[in-house]
Amino acid sequence: MGVPYVPIIGLIGTDILKRRLDMKIVENPFNPDVKTVVAQSLRPDIAIFHAQSADKLGNISCGYDAEVVMLAEGAKHVIVTVESVVDKITEKDSVGTYIPSILVNSIVHAPYGAHPSGCAGLYDPDKVHMQAYVKASQSEETFQEYLKKYVHGISSHEEYIDMAIPDHIKKTIK
Amino acid sequence: MMTTNMNTYNPVELMVVLLSREVRDNEISACGALSHIPAAGMLLAKELHARNAELIILNSIFNPFKTSRQFHYLAQRGELGLFFVSGVQIDQYANYNLHQLGPDHAQPDVRFPGGYGGGLIYYAARRSVAFRTEHTKRSFVENVDYISAAGSSPEDTLRLGGPSKVITPKVTFMFNRKINRLELESIHAGFTLEDIVNNTGFAVSNEHAIQTAEPSELELYTLRNIVRQRMINTNTYAKWAENSLN
Repeated sequence: MGVPYVPIIGLIGTDILKRRLDMKIVENPFNPDVKTVVAQSLRPDIAIFHAQSADKLGNISCGYDAEVVMLAEGAKHVIVTVESVVDKITEKDSVGTYIPSILVNSIVHAPYGAHPSGCAGLYDPDKVHMQAYVKASQSEETFQEYLKKYVHGISSHEEYIDMAIPDHIKKTIK
Repeated sequence: MMTTNMNTYNPVELMVVLLSREVRDNEISACGALSHIPAAGMLLAKELHARNAELIILNSIFNPFKTSRQFHYLAQRGELGLFFVSGVQIDQYANYNLHQLGPDHAQPDVRFPGGYGGGLIYYAARRSVAFRTEHTKRSFVENVDYISAAGSSPEDTLRLGGPSKVITPKVTFMFNRKINRLELESIHAGFTLEDIVNNTGFAVSNEHAIQTAEPSELELYTLRNIVRQRMINTNTYAKWAENSLN
């Protein structure tokens, strides 16, 4: 991914296509009698996603069969937050999708970094926190309170772990 | 002892059986997430007339792929024989709507999760069979409020397949490609043309409509025993299978 555009069979005649300025109907250059849709590629400046582990060179073991490899291919600068940093990961010892370091620019050691979402193979989503988040998001005022408590009012990742990660999730990582 | 009564089956079982008959042997058939009825229908077909069919039931063990990219390109290559879809609204042109209700697209009355893939797969699968468990005027409309997937397309468009049938608890519609309209194909036992006319938001005629062949004893027996147990054992909509197929 990250190529200039991708042909798509479909979508012509839908209301979806009307709203998508990044998709166009074009002639097939190899057979001008037929038309198809092409979608402009997404080239984000930065992609950030979470994975199970990284080695010191930036090779990534996602922990599951991840689609995020497309993000790593498409983005110009790739930051991966990981549960653990180990000496060496090869494609052979990777769990699930392996992303080679050539696609990765930065790694960040962030245990429980997926919270309140889950990290496949290690811990599940924190349903109690998720419900609180949904509730907080229902008004501007309560959402600001949520942000103050869990985002802006936090001085370090360690502080977040101490305050927000429930014990049953902490137990899942040694 | 088989105690199956030929004439006793619930509307869900009827739809499962009718969907199963659309599955062809030696073809790849697929359904998306939240597709209990086609999942059961495909597993039933595999037990009966389509033993060499390949099945893709997303979010289940009946899925050979690790990523949705692989499924996407299988469909785009034209290797998908049959796809089962549903829509909140389906119209006379076999357009379906999975996105939103209301005349103003910018200010919808209701929004649904949508379904981006459907608008592609409707073009790419050789045949798509739509199903809807509610046959009323609000679900079968003249024109859908929002086209998530288009039943027909201009002649010069690259399209590998399209809608073939729409199956409801009351009837089967067939898509007539010459006029790009749904036509009544068959009416299920217990319903009259009048029922259908009164519950369909677009004009229907029974010019060619016949009575739907009822589920056979073999189909019902296989569904209620083998398929039901298989769904429970493989955790494929297990709770639903336990409650709906008996």
